[in-house]
Amino acid sequence: MKQQPLCSDCEDKITPMDLPIPSGLKEEWSKAESRRQFLGRSGKVLGWAALASLFGEASFDHRAFASGPGMPLGSGMNNLGLPHFAPKAKRAIYLFMSGAPPQVDLFDYKPNLAAQFNNDMPASVRGNQQLTGMTAGQARFPIAPAHWPFTQHGQTGTWISDLLPYTARMVDDLTFIKSTNTDAINHEPAIMLMNTGNMNAGKPCLGAWLAYGLGSMNDNLPTFVVLQTKTNPKENNQPVSSRLWSSGFLSSEFSGVGLRSVGDPVLYLEDPAGVSREIRRKMLNAVEEINRQTLAEVGDPETNSRIAQYEMAFRMQSSVPELTDLSKEPESTWELYGPEAKVPGTFAYNCLLGRRMAERGVRFTQIYKRGWDVHDNVVGNLPVLCQETDRGCYALVTDLKRRGLLDDTLVIWGGEFGRTVYSQGGLSQENYGRDHHPRCFTVWMAGAGVRPGVAYGETDEFSYNVVKDPVHVRDFNATILHCMGIDHNKFTYKFQGLDQKLTSPVPAFVVQGILA
Amino acid sequence: MNLADKIVGNSVDLWRMVRAGRGVWTWSAFATVLALLSLLFIPLDGRAHADWLQFFGRFHPLLVHLPIGLIVLLPVLEVLGTRRPSLREAAGLVLEIALATCLVAIVFGVLLAYGGGESGTTVTRHMRGGILLAIGLMLCLAVRRTWLLGEHSRRYFILLAAVLLILTWTAHQGGSLTHGSDYLTRYMPAGMKGFFAPSAITSHPNSFFAKHIYPALDTKCVACHGTNKEQGGLRLDSYESLMAGGKDGIVIAPRNPGGSLLLQKVTLPPNDPHFMPAEGRTPLSLDEIARIRAWVLAGASPEASSVPGIVIAGEGEEAPLPVGDYNSLMGEIRQMQQSQGAKLVPVSAKPSDGLILRTTDIAASFDDAQLATFARFAPYIVEAELGRTAVTDASLETLAQFKNLRALHLEDTALTGRTLDKLSSLSQLTYLNLSETKVTGDSLGPLKRLPNLRHLYLFNTPAEPASADNGLRSTQ
Repeated sequence: MKQQPLCSDCEDKITPMDLPIPSGLKEEWSKAESRRQFLGRSGKVLGWAALASLFGEASFDHRAFASGPGMPLGSGMNNLGLPHFAPKAKRAIYLFMSGAPPQVDLFDYKPNLAAQFNNDMPASVRGNQQLTGMTAGQARFPIAPAHWPFTQHGQTGTWISDLLPYTARMVDDLTFIKSTNTDAINHEPAIMLMNTGNMNAGKPCLGAWLAYGLGSMNDNLPTFVVLQTKTNPKENNQPVSSRLWSSGFLSSEFSGVGLRSVGDPVLYLEDPAGVSREIRRKMLNAVEEINRQTLAEVGDPETNSRIAQYEMAFRMQSSVPELTDLSKEPESTWELYGPEAKVPGTFAYNCLLGRRMAERGVRFTQIYKRGWDVHDNVVGNLPVLCQETDRGCYALVTDLKRRGLLDDTLVIWGGEFGRTVYSQGGLSQENYGRDHHPRCFTVWMAGAGVRPGVAYGETDEFSYNVVKDPVHVRDFNATILHCMGIDHNKFTYKFQGLDQKLTSPVPAFVVQGILA
Repeated sequence: MNLADKIVGNSVDLWRMVRAGRGVWTWSAFATVLALLSLLFIPLDGRAHADWLQFFGRFHPLLVHLPIGLIVLLPVLEVLGTRRPSLREAAGLVLEIALATCLVAIVFGVLLAYGGGESGTTVTRHMRGGILLAIGLMLCLAVRRTWLLGEHSRRYFILLAAVLLILTWTAHQGGSLTHGSDYLTRYMPAGMKGFFAPSAITSHPNSFFAKHIYPALDTKCVACHGTNKEQGGLRLDSYESLMAGGKDGIVIAPRNPGGSLLLQKVTLPPNDPHFMPAEGRTPLSLDEIARIRAWVLAGASPEASSVPGIVIAGEGEEAPLPVGDYNSLMGEIRQMQQSQGAKLVPVSAKPSDGLILRTTDIAASFDDAQLATFARFAPYIVEAELGRTAVTDASLETLAQFKNLRALHLEDTALTGRTLDKLSSLSQLTYLNLSETKVTGDSLGPLKRLPNLRHLYLFNTPAEPASADNGLRSTQ
């Protein structure tokens, strides 16, 4: 018989059993082989098992926090050790002006610009700023001063555009940040950055972080509610999507619950004819039982969220009609908010709902108003937008204040970026345009945690660059978390091997200058 | 023979020894002493000099520990040397190296002080101590020769003890420069502290400045802005020096926190080159900054005992009492959280912040009887959210036991206000919401006795029209 090398990669696999060797030797070999194999394989298996359990345990731990098997529904209590310190604000209402309001027409008063009408903005001011496709091709960048006069208001003597007569009445209660700046120049990335701290979709938004970290204050209502204002078809409405109130990698029970602006606030909220509350309860109990079995079998934490959401929907069947029933509002409410507030879907109506939800323990309410993307028709659209929102903002802050709610509620007003001082398209005495501008924009806050009557940060004479106390979107979000008793650096969630946080990955700083 | 005679006698001996002349060694020792003494004339006036001086100077803290170790080793070797002669031989070498490294360390130390613009009494003391130490070591070296020959055995050991004392004192001065003069006493038990470190504040010991501003400056700033060092010509170790400012002008502008250089510097982003405290020292905490800001806003007075808007826990009778630890009741509290019904929720992760009584879930059915069941948690409850509940006037009796209550929500309840006098024991109460109740202006009288009540809300009540001028309602 021909001798062959005893190796595994030769054509015909041979084993020692085939070799012409004494049978005693063969027997010993087979023993050795099996023992070696056993030890080797079992060692590997043990290693893998240990590794899997390590990973598994770690991820399960976090999942457990996030979706809470065994965590009471909305108890406002979890193992996160939050709030880190006694919070000033228990809840927040975020008035989101989607589309980007022009700061230079509303808050950032630049009296010297009037004399520079139609002058070219110096290229040195613009620096290396990349422009959008809408103005990048323009031959010149003519300065467009604000079309409407500014007047001073309040004890602080704050300059406010005459377009905002109601906001002007409460300037002493507001904290302005004129130096907010962002990284993005287009709506989608900028609005994602503002809401989730990241330009790419998939991260939890501010409201979801708050719901996850602080929990609910009322089991019968969602912790995080999103209200849409009915769009005005004459305005340039940028789309907003559920990405903005998504819970990202957190359990989906922390995502924002949208209440509809038209018709029933929640679809199919009422039981169909012939189905009583008891029958509904029995049905839900059965569904929950099935879901629990699924959870036991599959272990997907999303099943837990589903159970929680069914229960929440059941409780909302009674809590939401009570929430939206405005019949008991005193006359003074309508005097303050105006008759518009009686029409569901208007901004004033949403503001009133915001106050009612604050009373009822909703942790975070976000009210979206679209249409601020004025571009080439500032004079045509801006007065309408201001008229739609001005009174609601004033009424909300004033109402919270007189009812004693502003002591523990934070109100936030802002868009995703600012608008340019130079005109987009033609500039005339009658009309002008304003393009996207990431380098500065104005936001305001009011209520718990912030010092009223402060204007923080400064821009240059063209309202183009920040010259003092810049506040990045991340700093802004860190400050909101601070007002709610959260140290943004310690509030993390392990995902994809990172300690994810709302303000990651670039270091962010709480804006000390505006804290109460 | 008394002590003075002894010293004179020894000095004379020494002088004779020098006169006897051991040639070049003696003269070089003389030259070294003169050089060391001349160092004392270098002006430490707080002005920084060439960078290379500082570059080398910064090796001083590194080098300085070598002679310290050797000098401490010396008596050990001498004592053990009585048994083992080889150790005694080694001691001589150790002494020589100690002297050499000591001289090097002094040179680098002077570079550091002169180059870095140091000034202040501690720096001067530290420098003089170092020079004295070097001279002491040289004397030791001289006396040791005679000692080895069997003469003046006591003299050497006295000198060695003196050198050790000088070393300790000098090293302490150096430590104070680096870590602050209260480094050793800061965490000392209170009894010892009174003896070793009497408070630096003598006038107005109960003022807000003395109790809250000074300690913050003392722990975070004085290491570089105090008697030890006066960086930027600024001292922050007393009210007067704080207000006097430094080279860049005043650092505290009363009633203008934004214009106060000190507040500007401590609130910069930590990676800013002008951020204070510099060089990775512990930054001021948010609390400390808030207190300084509020104090500046209120006029930066050295006497005022309180500042509007700042409530400090655990401060005498006026401030909220610290809430006790409720951890023993945590089992019960958690159980409550997991079931339907009213809940107790921690204000924060810190137990001393207390609990909130939250009823929003079941407001409509929460009545006087249910509130009474929470009476045993009373000492820990700092806020009661009873708005929109079914509680009545009778509940105020229960609430009177909630001695640590700071905020009380009773809006939209059946309250008539007739029994508001029951609340007069709630000395901690700062917030009271009676909106949309039936309270009348006449029933509010007892509330005037509440010393801390600052936010009273009476929206949509019969009492509302009168509220504007009763002096109680306040804005934020």
